[in-house]
Amino acid sequence: MSFLKSIVATTVEIVTVIYLITAIIYLFRIVRGPTIFDRILAVDALNYNLTVFMALLALYLEIPMIALGMIVVSLWLYALDIYVSKYIEFKEIGE
Amino acid sequence: MNMENLVIILGLIMITIGAFFEVVGALGVLRLKGFFNRIHAVTASAIGGAALPLLGVALVSAFAPWMIPQGYYLAGICFTATILILLLAPAGAHALARSAYLCKNIRKKFIYDDLVEHLKERRR
Repeated sequence: MSFLKSIVATTVEIVTVIYLITAIIYLFRIVRGPTIFDRILAVDALNYNLTVFMALLALYLEIPMIALGMIVVSLWLYALDIYVSKYIEFKEIGE
Repeated sequence: MNMENLVIILGLIMITIGAFFEVVGALGVLRLKGFFNRIHAVTASAIGGAALPLLGVALVSAFAPWMIPQGYYLAGICFTATILILLLAPAGAHALARSAYLCKNIRKKFIYDDLVEHLKERRR
């Protein structure tokens, strides 16, 4: 049992480091993106990255309350997409 | 080796495949040219790199014997977030691509564009 637990802990550590490295790449695209759509797209990808990061952290520390923010982040991300696209298309935020 | 260990190993394999998809999506966002190539990379990494490892975390935490009471909470939260991402990520990306196509600065870099005549017909 402790062998399987150590396998899970090692895998989660390695995958967490990979997700942190990819978050730095998305931050580079947020700063440098030529148009506003590229920035919004990089914010999307960074927040999907953040949801998985929260889940892995909750699995590693065995505290499930860390993962409650995932639902809020994924809903807020959809609202960001819809707001930006509606504002650019109709020049107003819809009523 | 009983059934729980197999499900936990399946969840770990799903988490590892998700890390691979995330690296592919990050390289696509960094290296591809143009907005519509980048949105392809981001949506691929949203489904493969966010929904798949969340399902893997749900499997691992639901069947792990060392986190019996709190693992069920984590599995429920992860499953709900997976369903939300599977529903909302393609819809948001589609709305963003539509508004980017209607912007003229991005559209004038296209080599071939078949939808412009349809837009002209619609405006009449």
